[in-house]
Amino acid sequence: MATTLPIPETTTVLEPQKSDLGWTRPDHRSGIVDWLTTTDHKKIGIMYGCFALFFLIVGGVEALMIRIQLAVPQNSFVSATTYNQLFTMHGTTMIFLAVMPINAAFFNFIMPLQIGARDVAFPRMNTFGLWTLLAGGIILNISWFFQFANAFGWFAPADGRLEIAPAGGWFGYAPLSATQYTGIGTNFWILGLQILGISSLAGSFNFIVTIINMRAPGMKMMRLPVFTWMTLITSFLLIFALPAIAVALAELQFDRYFNTNFFKVEMGGQPILWQHLFWIFGHPEVYILILPTMGIVSEILPTFSKRPLFGYPIIVFSGAVIGFLGFAVWSHHMFATGLGKYATAAFSLLTMAIAVPTGVKIFNWIGTLWGGRITFSIPMIYSLAFVWMFMMGGFSGIMHSSAPADAQQTDSYFVIAHFHYVLIGGALLSIIAGLYYWFPKVTGKMMNLKLGKWYAFLIIAGLNVTFFPMHWLGLNGMPRRTHTYQAGFGWETWNLVCSIGAMVLGIGIFLVVLDVFISARRGKLAAKDPWDGRTLEWTTSNPPPHYNFARTPIVKGKDSFFIHKYGQPKDKIEFEEEDAHGIHMPSNSWMPMISGICFTIFGVALALMPSGVIPGMGWLAVITLVGACIPLFLWALEGPGGYHLHAKKDNNLATNS
Amino acid sequence: MHKRVHNICKNLITMLFKPLHFVKYNSILGLSSILLGLFCNGCALNDRMSTFDYKGPVAKIQYDLFMVTVYVCLILFIIVAAALAWAVIKYRARKGDENKPMPKQGHGNPLIEVGLIGGSILMLVIIAVPTVNAIWYTHQMPKDDQSSHLISWYPNSQDIPSGEEDSVLIIRATGYQWWWTFEYPQFGIRTANEMVIPKGKTVRIELRAADVIHSFWFPKFAGKVDLIPGRNNWMWIQADHEGHYYGQCAEFCGEAHAYMLIRSDVVNEMDFANWVQHQTTPAPLPKERSLASEGKNLFVTKTCVQCHRVDGHGYESLVGPDLSHIASRKSIGAGILENIRDDLGTKDYSGSSKFASAEHMIDPEKLRKNLFEWVRYSQKYKPGNLMYYPANGLRNLDERGDFTDEDVHKIVDYLMTLK
Repeated sequence: MATTLPIPETTTVLEPQKSDLGWTRPDHRSGIVDWLTTTDHKKIGIMYGCFALFFLIVGGVEALMIRIQLAVPQNSFVSATTYNQLFTMHGTTMIFLAVMPINAAFFNFIMPLQIGARDVAFPRMNTFGLWTLLAGGIILNISWFFQFANAFGWFAPADGRLEIAPAGGWFGYAPLSATQYTGIGTNFWILGLQILGISSLAGSFNFIVTIINMRAPGMKMMRLPVFTWMTLITSFLLIFALPAIAVALAELQFDRYFNTNFFKVEMGGQPILWQHLFWIFGHPEVYILILPTMGIVSEILPTFSKRPLFGYPIIVFSGAVIGFLGFAVWSHHMFATGLGKYATAAFSLLTMAIAVPTGVKIFNWIGTLWGGRITFSIPMIYSLAFVWMFMMGGFSGIMHSSAPADAQQTDSYFVIAHFHYVLIGGALLSIIAGLYYWFPKVTGKMMNLKLGKWYAFLIIAGLNVTFFPMHWLGLNGMPRRTHTYQAGFGWETWNLVCSIGAMVLGIGIFLVVLDVFISARRGKLAAKDPWDGRTLEWTTSNPPPHYNFARTPIVKGKDSFFIHKYGQPKDKIEFEEEDAHGIHMPSNSWMPMISGICFTIFGVALALMPSGVIPGMGWLAVITLVGACIPLFLWALEGPGGYHLHAKKDNNLATNS
Repeated sequence: MHKRVHNICKNLITMLFKPLHFVKYNSILGLSSILLGLFCNGCALNDRMSTFDYKGPVAKIQYDLFMVTVYVCLILFIIVAAALAWAVIKYRARKGDENKPMPKQGHGNPLIEVGLIGGSILMLVIIAVPTVNAIWYTHQMPKDDQSSHLISWYPNSQDIPSGEEDSVLIIRATGYQWWWTFEYPQFGIRTANEMVIPKGKTVRIELRAADVIHSFWFPKFAGKVDLIPGRNNWMWIQADHEGHYYGQCAEFCGEAHAYMLIRSDVVNEMDFANWVQHQTTPAPLPKERSLASEGKNLFVTKTCVQCHRVDGHGYESLVGPDLSHIASRKSIGAGILENIRDDLGTKDYSGSSKFASAEHMIDPEKLRKNLFEWVRYSQKYKPGNLMYYPANGLRNLDERGDFTDEDVHKIVDYLMTLK
């Protein structure tokens, strides 16, 4: 057997070679330099995660301010413009800066481990994705500081409009996003989203290449863990969906900066074009948010019921079908725009069709539980809650698919109830499940499982108290995106209930996030295989070494670690022999971060340019755009670099049994 | 029907909880019955903008369709959730399980999968068929039932274009940031923020937008259709009961989107004929040397005239809301300030003929007060609106030095004459 080769007991690390530019790249540094220049997918994943959790809190605070404002009719907690900014930034932040990055964090950390790879295919591109994400997040949110500066009288845009933080909604409908209706906030929004798109594209290409090319021997496509499958499908969705919004944003930016006429109706432009472009991105985006989290649940349910996933190929295929159909239903966001009866009917029926693969997933999850031995650990509690809540969100989705019924529901609180059941009850619950599940893998410690039960109760109860009454509010005629409402419409009671529920939900989520950081420092040490895991990532130590696998595993089937532990002798994982020169490791690089910093300045400068307050912003934007591109060339000239390393010990094929 | 169901639910709850009062935990029960009571009180089915309380065929077919989806989803939910609950309870790990062999590692069953897929498709067909039917129904302008003829409403019968005698009533609604214009091209009427429609008459509403996208929503008449700049959208409605109705813009349209409200009166045929007569007759000019007459002068000198139209008084600007008969409207500022008599309470005014007439509902003192508040402090009531004093941002007119309370009172006196 291949495993007989002895592994050297010492780690030999060679100094990296000089790059083609004659510099030595920043390897083997400790502390901050290492984190800023790292190409290690695990460190990048952790940074993605911290960033996402920070913005989850920011978006949550915005949500709570919205709920305080709406707690009672005619409230004056915030002004109308501030309220519009809050819901715009709440949506944008939660989608682009919280859920997408935290999914990317899981992709980064977990996916290479699940396929038995040492890193992603393009480590520097991965780093670049992280820093551009940060750039986009800063550009979007720095607008708040300019808004505050305006309140203190230090910053007054020349156009006199006070929407300095974005106030056009996360959907940015034309013509409300034109210069005569919203201020420079829309510029921050356009540029932030555009740069976030670059980040997502870089990440997606990387994940696709990694999954297709870097699987360990024996890890056939139909043996991939479902989470990795969903990573692959999500990455394809991003690649096909993002160009649509990139085009839309560019056109909108041209309208605002260069006086083009894409969306200006007085010049013959078509505002409705924006909606088509936006939603042909926006609907797949929904699946970009939810498919990875379905993948997480598809990992957790089998682990805690000790059964393989029921109908694995059908779950995978359903994921792909959902992704595919996701591009064919965008106009169901536009049933009220006068599509005509044929288009309305077509999109209505296609939307119903999407319920089938989604339903199949739920049936198969229940099939997985059926006949199993279910233990209610925290990840499992969240996953079961996910199935239940996602089902509720799914059913209100079916109600929306019926266009004439949707005519009453669209743009009312019913829709808010629907997509929060899907995005909190669905995405967020399974993200928290994933946090609890993989936390020992990431940190080597356990999160607080005792308190975790209480947090789970707060979150699930808060979610239902907040969003269930919104179904009623919507059917009772309360429209969305209104900064207040008048008394006498039967909306008072339930808005107050929603606001109380939101506080409970907010406290629950805050406590979980707090626990992440506390447990990372002081958590109990995790066992080697704390959940009796089924997939390859649990064969490594907690946390895994820099090089993941001392020797590449040879996979013998689906649920490779589980069959290794409990299956036939032929199912045991074997290992490839070590190369004579040891493991080849990629060098760190400064270039991605420099590019990211330049992108940040570019975005802020270009957004501020039309305000006319600070001179020279246009030139600064040009310079920094060039500055953002130069590191990309230099990074090509850096050469592959890298160094070799002999692992100290063999993989940690730990079993608890 | 729904009210009956509602009452039955209420009775059931009281019946269920009465015999349990002696139970030790009656405080918990008390609390939960308070919550249930709250639920029932908070869920009246005839609130002002309730989609359950349909008052016309379009809203009805949308409501019926919604209920089909509710029943189908409820059945599916009960089955699937029961299966989930059953699996979780039945197959939970018990003490001593560790020593038993691993559960069967089956990988699925194609027959079950195909069956479930087939079953879900069948359930969707139950929704799909009435959906397509309703799409056609709501998108097809119905033939007028001829129960009421346009001819009876034309002020001068010779004005009727030939062949149009039996056509549907056309209303052109235009959305502005944050108010509405309603035109009745068949009668040459132009008004703002409140539309009047005859009971039982098919109405074709042509939807236009002047600036950004808005959405036209009277939940009791029909679901939303957007008003999009550059697009000629339309919808048809029919209101089957007289009364005063509430609606609102449902597409985010900027700062004061929450205050872009609409109102509608549904009246009987006779009242509609009177209304047409009234709207096509200009309000009389104020008596000379009266306060109202001074107000009329101020209306010109203080530049109100640059935006507002008053029919028959020589003011023809179409920039702002039409004020021709503002004193006979039930609200000021697109629904923000209601002129409705306090003793009528704040309830739902739909479905009752007594709430249709302006004379019955409007409190003149409230109207006067609201007009004053609106002219003086419009930014306070509708932030960002364009009736402002432009100095370092939008300011209330009270910050304009050459504009005194006395002036405003005189202008209000003038507006009060525009009955």
